[in-house]
Amino acid sequence: MTDSRNESAAPTASQQSPVQWAAQVHDGVKRYGRGDNTVFALSGVTVGFQQGQFTAIMGPSGSGKSTLMQCAAGLDRLTSGRVFIGDTELGPLNEKQLTLLRRKKVGFVFQQFNLLPTLTAAENIAFPLTLAKRRPDAAWMDQVVSTVGLSDRLRHKPSELSGGQQQRVAVARALVERPDIIFADEPTGNLDSHSSGEILSFMRSAVDDLGQTVVMVTHDPVAATYAHRVLFLTDGKITDELMAPTRDSILDRMRQFDS
Amino acid sequence: MLRLAFKNLRANLSRLIAMVTAVVAGIAFLAAGLMLTDAVRVALLGGVADQYQSVDLAVVPADQILATFGGGDSTSALNDTTLAAVRSVSGVKAAAPERTVDVQLLTASDEAVSARTQGRAWISDDALNPLTLVAGRAPATANEVVIDRNLAEKAGLKVGSSARLATPIGPLKVQVAGLSAFGRNDAIDAGGTISFPESAAGEVLGGGATSWSRILVRTSGDTAAISAAISKQLGEQVGVIDGAALIESEQQSSAAFIGLLRPVLQAFALLSLLVCGFVIFNTFSVVVTQRFRELALIRAIGGTPAQVRRSLMLEGLGIGLLASALGIAVGALLSIGLQSLLSAIDIPLPGAGVKVTSGTVALCMIVGTLVTVASVAVPAFRAGRTKPVEAMRSAAVDRTGSSTVRLVVGGLLLATAIGLLIGAKVGAVPKVLLGAGTSLLFAGLVVGGPLLARVFSKALSVPMRVFGLTGRLAADNCARNPKRTATTANALVIGLFLVTLVTVSGTAVKKWSVEKLNTLSGSDYIVSSNAAVPDSVVKGIIATDGVAGAAAVRVAVVNDSTGIPQIISTTDFDQLATTSGIKLSSGSLDEVANGDGVAVVDLTTLLSDLVNSGSSSKSTDSSEPNPLDTSPPSNNPSSNNPSSNNPPNDETTALPPGTFGTSETEVGSTVEVPTINGGSETLTVAAVLNAKLDALTLGYLVGPATFERLVGEQPVRQVFIRVEPGQAEAVGLSLERLTRQFTTVDVQPGNFIGQAVGTIFDFLINAVNALLAMSLLIALIGIVNTMTLSIIERRQELGMVRALGMTRGQVGAMVGLEALMLGILGTLIGVGTGLFLGWILIGSLDSSISLGVDWGRVALIAAAGCAAGALASILPTRRATRVDVLAAMQAT
Repeated sequence: MTDSRNESAAPTASQQSPVQWAAQVHDGVKRYGRGDNTVFALSGVTVGFQQGQFTAIMGPSGSGKSTLMQCAAGLDRLTSGRVFIGDTELGPLNEKQLTLLRRKKVGFVFQQFNLLPTLTAAENIAFPLTLAKRRPDAAWMDQVVSTVGLSDRLRHKPSELSGGQQQRVAVARALVERPDIIFADEPTGNLDSHSSGEILSFMRSAVDDLGQTVVMVTHDPVAATYAHRVLFLTDGKITDELMAPTRDSILDRMRQFDS
Repeated sequence: MLRLAFKNLRANLSRLIAMVTAVVAGIAFLAAGLMLTDAVRVALLGGVADQYQSVDLAVVPADQILATFGGGDSTSALNDTTLAAVRSVSGVKAAAPERTVDVQLLTASDEAVSARTQGRAWISDDALNPLTLVAGRAPATANEVVIDRNLAEKAGLKVGSSARLATPIGPLKVQVAGLSAFGRNDAIDAGGTISFPESAAGEVLGGGATSWSRILVRTSGDTAAISAAISKQLGEQVGVIDGAALIESEQQSSAAFIGLLRPVLQAFALLSLLVCGFVIFNTFSVVVTQRFRELALIRAIGGTPAQVRRSLMLEGLGIGLLASALGIAVGALLSIGLQSLLSAIDIPLPGAGVKVTSGTVALCMIVGTLVTVASVAVPAFRAGRTKPVEAMRSAAVDRTGSSTVRLVVGGLLLATAIGLLIGAKVGAVPKVLLGAGTSLLFAGLVVGGPLLARVFSKALSVPMRVFGLTGRLAADNCARNPKRTATTANALVIGLFLVTLVTVSGTAVKKWSVEKLNTLSGSDYIVSSNAAVPDSVVKGIIATDGVAGAAAVRVAVVNDSTGIPQIISTTDFDQLATTSGIKLSSGSLDEVANGDGVAVVDLTTLLSDLVNSGSSSKSTDSSEPNPLDTSPPSNNPSSNNPSSNNPPNDETTALPPGTFGTSETEVGSTVEVPTINGGSETLTVAAVLNAKLDALTLGYLVGPATFERLVGEQPVRQVFIRVEPGQAEAVGLSLERLTRQFTTVDVQPGNFIGQAVGTIFDFLINAVNALLAMSLLIALIGIVNTMTLSIIERRQELGMVRALGMTRGQVGAMVGLEALMLGILGTLIGVGTGLFLGWILIGSLDSSISLGVDWGRVALIAAAGCAAGALASILPTRRATRVDVLAAMQAT
């Protein structure tokens, strides 16, 4: 099942006209602490996330995968290096500009605490737009909602939804604003295997059918098979890249790290 | 457990500070109150003991009343003859006369340098003289004085300077012979002491005729024998008491003052502690909820519920002890501050500095610790019940809403309470149930707090949408945890409720009583003096622009055959009608004026007027064109006498029978009127007057000829004045200027009792408003605590919305609006309940009293409540905006 998915989605040479980068990091370094206590979460990472691609970032804990995602998404600042979302460089932006950029161009799916408990599912989905005092395009909203299969749950509050359904709301929210890129941080970490599968399928269809770009941090090899490409991070550096990943190829790479 | 408790306290400094602040505020007020009253008491009592320490005996008038009212001719007052007689008794080493009267040091523009300055006679005997000379010498000649050093400094005077004084005998030009001090204080009297030489003091202080209030005696030898000798010498008109008895009686009158001060300050303290308790309870509850993971961990590892409880109680104990100690220190500062504040506005309290007794310290420590531990008990108990498995679960926002049972019970309580109260007001339910209704109302507010919080939050969420998404979210957050919202808001509710209730009902009762009291007097102004209104002043009054008429009343106070003092008076009868509120009950004043008859006052009409003037029609008062008409009046005594219809209320007929007037109230009956030379005359009652304020001061009113025959030449003691329309203020000013230099002559508006009562009510209402300010402060701390802790709790949520694109400004606005809503919620409930209860209570008291709410004042109170909420939002907002966006990523 996994292999066929990847075959159709891999960008072929003929599709690669000028490459559109949804996000890029050049020579990203992130240092914490000082002197003897210095820790390098990222020690020189250069990576590009193509539009229309689903990338998974994997690595052992402490590898810097979360840090990479946070810096790429504009949630944190690099110590040195450059970050781009679309054509916009993040370095020179101030806090407010970063916030507005995130609002318009970046979608998020977190592992948990994705939703505001007092808003309905529909309101949660529209949240970033409401922040900008805009209304979602009705047709697009309907399409997104039906894609994630929440049409009959729109008026429910998060406490009335299952974990899987809550994550679906989060995905729908990430899609509704038609961002340049969607970052997902362990989106299936709290879900059972059935719900996990659902969420990952939605995210993959978002990429295949709706033309979105998704970057997902995960430690779950099965989840990573839904991606077009897997990046492996160790000690703040990208150590490996795997295209059209399968479960076996991923497990192979992971075994190599242990030795 | 102790170490854990200690480490927990240290680890979370901001929480600690929050809770400590709340307790400190409450204890500080308690401590300040105690310290102030102690300082005042020590100063007053110590002062008295110091003042009279060398006194062996004191000669006092047997009859205190005559000593105040009687002129110098009356044989029962102490005068120079008495003084000489005392000095002549063997064994008397020194005798000094004492009299304390209002005297004022005047500036160039005739303003008093200090209020309530006292004039005294300088005591030449060193032992008896409580004052010490710090500069210059004792006053010798008649126009010399000694001034206390503080007053001198205030007025810029030195030894040798000249000064102008206002005295009972009018303006005096004097020279400062010396400066005095009283022990370590500047003066005996809070307003300053001016001492006159004995030779001049008698006349000056007595208002023209020497009249001492007591004579202090120093003896050598058998005090008891000397005391007997003095009594024998001077006869029945004086009494002799020993020094210890004198000190004791003086200290008792000082204690009365403290008796007034203490309850006021303690009320402050009590309210602040109550609000405190709320705040601590709330804060600690949130803290426990926030630390549930930690607590669950302890339980998982093997801590018993009892151990967890104990650890938290110990934390509470630590906080209580620390905060109480701090509170005492802050209280000391507060009391010093209060003292300076009071002396700055010229109401100086005796005693300077701070008096800290071990009793105060002990009480404050105990109370503070108890309140803290008690407030901590319930949350600690709940903490003990944390399930160990919570240690594995991820942190969640405190979702403890309220159980349905609580909501229902709360709703029922409130409904019942409201029903009872309204029922009592309209009489459907007996009025005794008012108390029950009120208690139920409070219970309903506490139990049903979350219900109210939810309802109000939902109600407010609609107008909050004005602020867009942030407003909506703010309202949602308030409704999310109704229990916490309610507890926080309740801290505000207490203070606002009390103030609204007192302000509203106080204002209504004040208006009602002042209106009733105003019917008692008819004059526009009354100029009066216990000594004498000088002829120059009387002439001046008549000549003042705007005065329509003035009736000068000469008064004498004479003992009758049974030893009870009686008032005998005469006046200008032509003027009496138009200048005073004298109302004729029966008879004719012409006969009194021109003949031998006497007018007496019918006391029983006093109560009927009070009762009837409000509820029944006012026509009985205003319909008579000329109350002193000689034609037979339409009222006759029996119809005015309500004793058959309304039994007089025992509390208000406070005048002992026969004090100022007789019980005979029929024209034609006879009365025995005492004369100045000890005898008496039988006079026929020619007129009966209604008991009004103006009439009560007249006693036996007789014609001028009769007066002269009975008591001879007597000074004017009162002048009734009526002013032309619209001239009231101008005339008032002129009268003030006229009498300014005579310290024993007072100008009062005719309705001065009404005004005095009004002033007392105003003072009470203002005092309660000060209470509000203080309780708002503590409630504010509570709101800040709750908000701050709730932000910490919602860290992940806030991080998430920041990641999604909510700017710092929007987050800040959301949190700020939440705090504001808490303020509004507390204000609505507090003010609303206060208004409601005020309406109920006033209506039940007397349906005729209009509530006449001063909406301006209520609006101010409400604004204060909301402002507290707004203020409280500042700190939490800042904290919220600093929440790290990355907080959303942290799974723990």
